[in-house]
Amino acid sequence: MIWLAWRQHRQQALAGAIALGLVASFLLATHVGMSNFFHSLGLSSCAGSSSPTCGQLADQFDRRYQGLQFVIPLFLLVPLLIGLFWGAPLVARELELGTERLVWTQGITRRRWFATKVLLPTVTAVAGVAAFAALVSWWSGFFIQIHEDRFTPGIFDIRGVVPIAYALFALALGVLMGTLMRRTLPAMAATLGGFIAVRTLVTLYVRAHYLPARTVSDPILALGGGKGIGLGPQGIGNAWILHQVIQSRAGTVGNPNDLFGFFAAHCPGVIPPPPTPPSPGRLTACVQQLGIHTVTTYQPDSRFWAFQGIESAIYLALATLLVLVAAWVVRRKLA
Amino acid sequence: MTTDLKTAAIETSALSKRYGHTWALRDCSLSVPAGKVVALVGPNGAGKTTLLHLAVGLLEPTSGEVRTLGSPPRERADVLGRVGFVGQDVPLYPGFRVREMLEMGRRLNPRWDAEVALDRIRRHDIDLRQRAGTLSGGQRSQVALALAVAKRPELLVLDEPLASLDPLARREFLASLMEAAAESEVTVLLSSHLVTDMERVCDYLIVLSASRVQVLGDVDQLLATHRTLIGPRTDGDEVAGVTVISAEHTERQSTLLVRMDRPVLDPRWTARDVSLEDLVLAYLAHPTSSTLPGPTAGPRRRMEVGA
Repeated sequence: MIWLAWRQHRQQALAGAIALGLVASFLLATHVGMSNFFHSLGLSSCAGSSSPTCGQLADQFDRRYQGLQFVIPLFLLVPLLIGLFWGAPLVARELELGTERLVWTQGITRRRWFATKVLLPTVTAVAGVAAFAALVSWWSGFFIQIHEDRFTPGIFDIRGVVPIAYALFALALGVLMGTLMRRTLPAMAATLGGFIAVRTLVTLYVRAHYLPARTVSDPILALGGGKGIGLGPQGIGNAWILHQVIQSRAGTVGNPNDLFGFFAAHCPGVIPPPPTPPSPGRLTACVQQLGIHTVTTYQPDSRFWAFQGIESAIYLALATLLVLVAAWVVRRKLA
Repeated sequence: MTTDLKTAAIETSALSKRYGHTWALRDCSLSVPAGKVVALVGPNGAGKTTLLHLAVGLLEPTSGEVRTLGSPPRERADVLGRVGFVGQDVPLYPGFRVREMLEMGRRLNPRWDAEVALDRIRRHDIDLRQRAGTLSGGQRSQVALALAVAKRPELLVLDEPLASLDPLARREFLASLMEAAAESEVTVLLSSHLVTDMERVCDYLIVLSASRVQVLGDVDQLLATHRTLIGPRTDGDEVAGVTVISAEHTERQSTLLVRMDRPVLDPRWTARDVSLEDLVLAYLAHPTSSTLPGPTAGPRRRMEVGA
């Protein structure tokens, strides 16, 4: 049966291997350039430093590779492609050709037929996507180093182990849709919609709650020399910031973008009419009088791998459930 | 491991299959004797394909039971390995070469006989390297038959195997099928709505009409007991000893297709032999008449008068 599954799907496997090869060459080639530029700028000695020089160098690096960063969202699509081109046709194509009547009347059970058909692309997808995710994690290292940010949605999703879990979920979704709809094209459309819907919902509404978020409160400082005001040190490093509000002792500041308006309302005369800049002394006094501070809700960077693990577990559980439903439909419901 | 000739190859009791609100097959009870070449005949929509799919485990009964080679066939690799099935439109993997189709058969069936398969393919001048999608209709059928026969099945089930073939390919296919049947003790069950082709090859007939078994019996015996009677115009139950299946009338004379329970002695009637096709068509035109063996098949009291 492995022979048959391989013979039927070897073209899809070959297409996948070619795609992986092309992406790998692209990543290897661009990594060389990035690496050279990174080291020639001296950014390698900037790790963890927040000096203005390092900031300028980082900006320089960012500007040069802005275009390259644009491809990062495309990597989010890779698991989906596996669902569309490997998952959806797996059973649906067979039903379209009517060949299920041929293969289901050979000397094997449907259970074994289905198990083998699903297992083969599963193993292939795990191997392929693991290689892909490792490459992307390595390649995107420079951007992570510069932005000190690996936890934000979009970046979190293309690194580590979650891409493997997404791919298996997409594969399972494709198989189930193909089994239910019995036709490849509608099954591909449903897989597309379903995958995007689940990924969006989980990313936007579920992921932040895997572990209880932490909150930290920081004073806002008035800066001298007409520079206005700035946030105090937060000390949360590369955390995933869920939300941030500016509060006074009395409660939330109405519109955080109009902080000066708030000051003007509560400390009469503190904000002179433009173009005169507010006096730092009076501003500081006002900030302190009102007790202005920020409240940040965040997930600390140290939880990165815990979140990768939880997210993977969720998608693997979903994938398992979908495959079991598909197996049940194949055995009990299909003609 | 051949099936005892006395047992049935397929046995169904009150077998029913429903799709939504439509019954594709309802309360079908029949027995396909082992070792025979059985024709399953009936109009489109009678439930032939449904019955065959139930028999090879492709469908699950809504109610009732089907036993193939002694067991319910569904999800039973041991049963499916002993049943050869050629589906309607003979599905093959279009991208596979003929050689690869045979390889599939070898890997999925425990009793596979590679020699039988290769021999059949060669005899029909089919190139082993050709892709299944490019084969002609006749070649496709021959490849499908080779796949089914090389399983060394105890039961061979063919769903409308002739429908898509031209007359020459049809004849070749039937010859090839009969050869396979003669070489082993295999039971062959084939469905068709073409009765003429069946007459030459089948020794047992099942007529299925609206999922009801209307006729069941040995072809020779059916032909021996049915006659066309031509005689004076009649409107009532006047011919003694026969059951009228269908009747046609002109001004002066009546033509009756009858089952004779004893010889007709009345000199006004001329008896002629019937063809299997006439017989089947007569029954199909009159769904309330039936000829079944056993206690339920006694002489019918009611007379059927057709148009």
